[in-house]
Amino acid sequence: MITRHDELGRLIAALPPAPTGWVRAAQELPAARRAIEGMISRAEADAAYRRRVLSDLESALVEEGVEPSAAVLSELRERFLSS
Amino acid sequence: MARRAGSDAELVARCRAGDAAAWNELVERFSRYVFAICTQGFRLADHDAEDVFQDVFARVYAQLDRLRSDDSFRPWLAQLTRRACIDRLRAGSRETPTDQLEPAGVDETLSLLEEALAVHDALGELPDHCREILERFFARDESYRTIGEALALPSGTVASRISRCLDRLKALLEETGGAGRPEDG
Repeated sequence: MITRHDELGRLIAALPPAPTGWVRAAQELPAARRAIEGMISRAEADAAYRRRVLSDLESALVEEGVEPSAAVLSELRERFLSS
Repeated sequence: MARRAGSDAELVARCRAGDAAAWNELVERFSRYVFAICTQGFRLADHDAEDVFQDVFARVYAQLDRLRSDDSFRPWLAQLTRRACIDRLRAGSRETPTDQLEPAGVDETLSLLEEALAVHDALGELPDHCREILERFFARDESYRTIGEALALPSGTVASRISRCLDRLKALLEETGGAGRPEDG
């Protein structure tokens, strides 16, 4: 059992907060997933939209109100190229 | 730092049911842990750590249905993060054997972080004023002066409050049996 203050302090200090922007982007993942599903559906029915998204994935996400993090961009790219 | 709301298993079950607030809470609860594994355990540079961090939570979200037991979320998350870190190191160093990619002492660091997470859980059970002052002093590395200015307290009061709050945290850990590493000195 931990009984020393310095040991407790060391354990609290071992977990500093993650950067706020990283946390927010991770929290927005479900919304990003929904947005990607919507973009896929729209692209299936609209070839011009599909081309526009593929030419600039970041802007397409921003238009949908989604933070274009590397993970979201990678997923969007994979989904578009496989659809 | 948010107060804890329910066990890991309850939180995971709510996430699986599509509860958006539960997902926010899950990310909030475990963001420090994932961040620390990336930056302290595997010593990833900021840009790599950020990519791995997002990738881990994306995988958690996508694979939550595959988790066999909601009670085993922590070890699953740790393993997921560990693999993602190794994948990132491997991508940057294709010719190095996998067993040489992990930094020395990574197992010890991960064990320490697991213990630290248990302490943070207990911290979440303390009154707001205690959580805030311990968080500011230890996790955010703020000085007595900065804390005193922020909370309108004299420096001497900051020091004594930190000490009293550590006593409460220690008592809580003893009560719950959390962070049960033997005292080493």
